[in-house]
Amino acid sequence: MPSATGDTGAEQPMRAWKFLDPGRIAPFGGHVWSAPSTSGPGAWVEPAGGVFACRLEDLPWWIRPELWEVELAGPVRMLPTQVAAARGRLLRRVLAWDEAVLRAYGMACAERARDRAVHAFLREDRQGEGDALRRTRSMLELYRTAQGMATDARTPSSNAVGYFAACALRAAQGEGAAAALHAADAVSVATGDPDAFARERQWQAAWIAGRCALSAEPVAVV
Amino acid sequence: MSVARPQELACKQLVELLTDFLDGALDESTRTRVEQHLVWCPGCTEYLRQFRATIGVTRKLAEEDLPERVKENLLDAFRHWRHGS
Ligand SMILES: [Zn+2]
Repeated sequence: MPSATGDTGAEQPMRAWKFLDPGRIAPFGGHVWSAPSTSGPGAWVEPAGGVFACRLEDLPWWIRPELWEVELAGPVRMLPTQVAAARGRLLRRVLAWDEAVLRAYGMACAERARDRAVHAFLREDRQGEGDALRRTRSMLELYRTAQGMATDARTPSSNAVGYFAACALRAAQGEGAAAALHAADAVSVATGDPDAFARERQWQAAWIAGRCALSAEPVAVV
Repeated sequence: MSVARPQELACKQLVELLTDFLDGALDESTRTRVEQHLVWCPGCTEYLRQFRATIGVTRKLAEEDLPERVKENLLDAFRHWRHGS
């Protein structure tokens, strides 16, 4: 049972996921993680501030070019969007996660957001706008169409089109992390549902997990 | 664990937090918000890169690197400032 601080008190190793910059570089700490070899995992990394990694549901928050499966050790703290531990080491690189998949991820998030926007417009009897969004055939077209509507902020769905426009543009640019965030914001604003943002993030995490065949939950390493 | 949308950190706020971020002086929650912003914001990522590069250059500057005239001017300005003029 986690404590009030989120400290599980677990000393046994735990598997999680870690995004890194090219060359196994920690995006914010700047240190290089040791690569695993045929003989076993990489060397333990134990920075002063600890290591941070993802459960599956955390993945959309921390997107970077490389994705690795890691083993965490020491007391593990469960934080709202990540897991903290005293030390960690790389187990294997998730080779399925690459630039093409990152781009596809952004597009998938944007297309899902577009469908949500169409429904929101139809609910408001604004068939014209809904159809205009539905007819778009590319991200750039979606961007231009949504941007054209963004000035008319009469309803929740109109308020959301600014986010849809940003989402489509970033998806077109291959910026999957930004496209996904804007998509979740867009759906949240369009539906006015306070749970919509978290639900979109869950869907995005599931998309990554499914595309990269990541197992459902990090489990204790036996 | 599913989380609600964390409070948005504007680019301007991030810039103001950057020195503390690099010094490791932010609390965990604020540091996380800065890092999450940097994941998706190319403008702030570039700003951070330049900021780090500037700090790197400044740290490498030794007194001997300053031309004599620049050193004199700086010392002169400092003396005036000390005397409150
Ligand atoms: Zn920014």
